[in-house]
Amino acid sequence: MNLDFAQFIPSLPYILKGVLVTLKIVLLAGVLGFIFGIILSLFKISSIKVLGWFADLYTSIFRGTPLVLQLMLIYFGSPQIFGYQIEPYTAAVLSFSLNSGAYISEIIRAGILAVDKGQQEAAMALGVPYRKMMWDIILPQALKNILPALLNEFISLTKESAIVTTIGVMDVMRRSYQVGAEYYSYFEPLLIAGLIYYVLVIALTFLGKAVEGRMRRSD
Amino acid sequence: MIKIEKLYKNYGKLEVLKGITTSIKTGEVVAIIGPSGSGKSTFLRCMNYLEKPTDGKIWFGDQEITDKKTNIMKVRQNVGMVFQHFHLFPHKTVLENLTYAPIKVKGLSKAEAEKIGLELLERVGLSDKASEFPNRLSGGQKQRVAIARALAMQPEVMLFDEPTSALDPEMVKEVLDVMKSLAHTGMTMAIVTHEMGFAKEVADRVLFLDNGMLVEDSPPQEFFTNPKSSRAQEFLQKML
Repeated sequence: MNLDFAQFIPSLPYILKGVLVTLKIVLLAGVLGFIFGIILSLFKISSIKVLGWFADLYTSIFRGTPLVLQLMLIYFGSPQIFGYQIEPYTAAVLSFSLNSGAYISEIIRAGILAVDKGQQEAAMALGVPYRKMMWDIILPQALKNILPALLNEFISLTKESAIVTTIGVMDVMRRSYQVGAEYYSYFEPLLIAGLIYYVLVIALTFLGKAVEGRMRRSD
Repeated sequence: MIKIEKLYKNYGKLEVLKGITTSIKTGEVVAIIGPSGSGKSTFLRCMNYLEKPTDGKIWFGDQEITDKKTNIMKVRQNVGMVFQHFHLFPHKTVLENLTYAPIKVKGLSKAEAEKIGLELLERVGLSDKASEFPNRLSGGQKQRVAIARALAMQPEVMLFDEPTSALDPEMVKEVLDVMKSLAHTGMTMAIVTHEMGFAKEVADRVLFLDNGMLVEDSPPQEFFTNPKSSRAQEFLQKML
């Protein structure tokens, strides 16, 4: 195999700049998706049926169609949806957070249901109102149990973010592709991109382990 | 303090409570006993509305808790409850378990709540465990913390739902001792229990439930030596 990485060294800073773009999308979409996920999961376990139906419908739509389709619908459809063309970056954050909200809501719902019912009774017996009970007693215990599943979701979000290439966002993927086009040689820059994604995911894994360790101190 | 009138509870077609009428006076210690499936836990859990009665009325003081307009959360602040399986908050330390509700529900300052919490921990003999997590404690210690947690809200009544049934035998005494000393302070208590010796010694009254009905209501001396109903006689024969 004949690999020549040397010729791509001048292009490295250009590709690496894409890390910031990727991170900006993933972090914001991750946080927003997490918030959507909590809200949707609370809807799903709510005694108000309409909220449950809404959350179930939402989940089935966002899980039932390809992410790249959702991304393109939001980006290219924005003039018809919002009345003006939104930035590719905005479309990326919006579609990723809406999409991962659907997945995360199922993860959180499972986590809440797995918390011993006695916890809720103990809180009720102390006169703790529903919202405080959820926020202070149930959710922290649920989160501890679902941390590995959440980490999975954030990892796939990081990698899937590469599809923003299709709407022209200058992320790691698109930049390495362009560098490849410039040199008529795609293999090496794509390997570089792969390495960058891999390092990002490993970093995320370590971060997740650290958080989990902290949450497990009560065991 | 608590008045119960014609209390019924059904789960679908299953009738668990079939019209119980009784009352608990301030300062009274009432033991609720009976065979399993007799409805005694359900009866106790109706008193703070963890179970919603199918029919009947319950008053706490002059508030009718079965009235839809009553703010049950407010009432529960005055009714402490101790569960068979403790239900301590595992992600909070022992002291945080005690201070959580006083701070978040009653609006006490952290300092006030911690003062009360530490006093209570001393009372149940667990001062040295304040910063431990519940998972590090033995069953008996957990249950003592659970009692202290309920007391931290400074309730007027304490409900105990088989507080020693999940404990290893050698830990039963430490929990009963805490409950005994609590009874001596004049706390109003309703205790679902299988500890006959404890009921005999500490209770002012014994309620014997069978098949969802209140079969006997008498002082312990009378109940244990001379039970009126044949059902209670049978039950006591098996227990002793």
